[in-house]
Amino acid sequence: MTDEPTYEAARDELIAIVAKLEAGGLGLEESLALWERGEAVAKLCQERLDGARQRLESAAAAQGDDSEAT
Amino acid sequence: MALETSPESPAPLRQISMLIGQWIDRMGAVWVEAEITELKRRPGICFLTLRDLQAKVSIQAKCHVTVLDRLVSPIVEGARVVVHAKPSFWDANGGLALEIREIRPQGEGELLAQLEARRRALAAEGLFDPALKRPLPFLPRVVGLVTGKDSDAERDVLENARKRWPAVRFVVQHAFMQGPKSAPSVIEAVRLLDAHDHVDVIVIARGGGSLHDLLPFSDEALIRAVAACTTPVVSAIGHEPDTPILDHVADHRASTPTDAAKTIVPAVLDELAGVAQARQRAAHAVRRLLDHEFAGLAALRSRPVLAQPHVLVAVQADVVSDALDRSRRALRHRLDRERDAVVHHLARVQALSPLATIQRGYAVAQAPDGVVLTSVEDIPDQFTVRLADGRVVAHKVSIQELT
Repeated sequence: MTDEPTYEAARDELIAIVAKLEAGGLGLEESLALWERGEAVAKLCQERLDGARQRLESAAAAQGDDSEAT
Repeated sequence: MALETSPESPAPLRQISMLIGQWIDRMGAVWVEAEITELKRRPGICFLTLRDLQAKVSIQAKCHVTVLDRLVSPIVEGARVVVHAKPSFWDANGGLALEIREIRPQGEGELLAQLEARRRALAAEGLFDPALKRPLPFLPRVVGLVTGKDSDAERDVLENARKRWPAVRFVVQHAFMQGPKSAPSVIEAVRLLDAHDHVDVIVIARGGGSLHDLLPFSDEALIRAVAACTTPVVSAIGHEPDTPILDHVADHRASTPTDAAKTIVPAVLDELAGVAQARQRAAHAVRRLLDHEFAGLAALRSRPVLAQPHVLVAVQADVVSDALDRSRRALRHRLDRERDAVVHHLARVQALSPLATIQRGYAVAQAPDGVVLTSVEDIPDQFTVRLADGRVVAHKVSIQELT
């Protein structure tokens, strides 16, 4: 993957895919392809959120060290 | 002045008032030493209140405005003066006042007048312009302090500043804070501190004192030195109502040394608490956002189309089986209809069948090739006769026509 989308872009794409699948009326092949894309995008979103949480937690831990020092 | 009066023959008030006036008139003009405690200018006339320098004795006075305007330095309230005045009695209302012909500022009064003149001159030069006032730094690297050695003012400033910000750095320049050597000493101290690289604010502090004590802080050279200072200067001269001219030229005036300490240094502990709170709120807000996004993502991923994608296939399978059902149903319908039609036709065929007729006794004559014989003319020699239960092969014997 060359240009990884932003978290917001990935989330918005996921929402659009779910809406399309739920609306129905798609061919079988198309539905399956769309579903696979949805899975990939959801995985990306999950990774981003997990990463953000990790950053927040390590910053809080560092801050805890700071305030203990002062 | 003897005057015969009695309860039976009282004197009219006007006579008494006139006599009082005459009595007072005998005093003539005198030179009086007093302090002017009140001064009210009106068009053409001035009303004053004079008070004894020591005792609680005062009197009303008045004079023509020219008497005041004649003076070189203007007279202000609080001025100590020597006046040439004549007591006067107005019998119309019984008012007593000193009519002042001449005023001479004296001692402190003169001094105050001089200071006032100097203040006006310096103000006119623009030295006190609010636009020239420099803002005080929020967190000075070093605070310069000009004060008397071991003075109360020194202690007040240092203690109160350190209470608010324990780490504040001071450079103290001791100087004479009263007396003839004071002005040059303070000027030198201010110059030294101004030249100091890290001094971001200068405080000149001394406790209260008399007019003479505070005179150095109205010294013209000192005022100009402070005006020329590039570092902001705080004047913290604890004093009575008199305002030394330093208060006007300083970038900020504090009412006491303690007040100055509070102005130059922020309450650092309060600020730290504020910062900590801001950090907490920021972290909390970010966490809330993350939680929201996590929840949203979980909701999306649990939707059937993603979580149970065989739904997609099932939809197609349904379409297929649904079509299959419909086609079978259509076929069955068609078959039923055809069967009905067949049954219907059979009934009609049966209805049209001559079997019943034959059973009733009628016979059907047929030629050997099967043609039904309807006329006696057509009968061949050999023909068949059909009865209800079978066929008879017959020979023609003779015919008989019906007429």
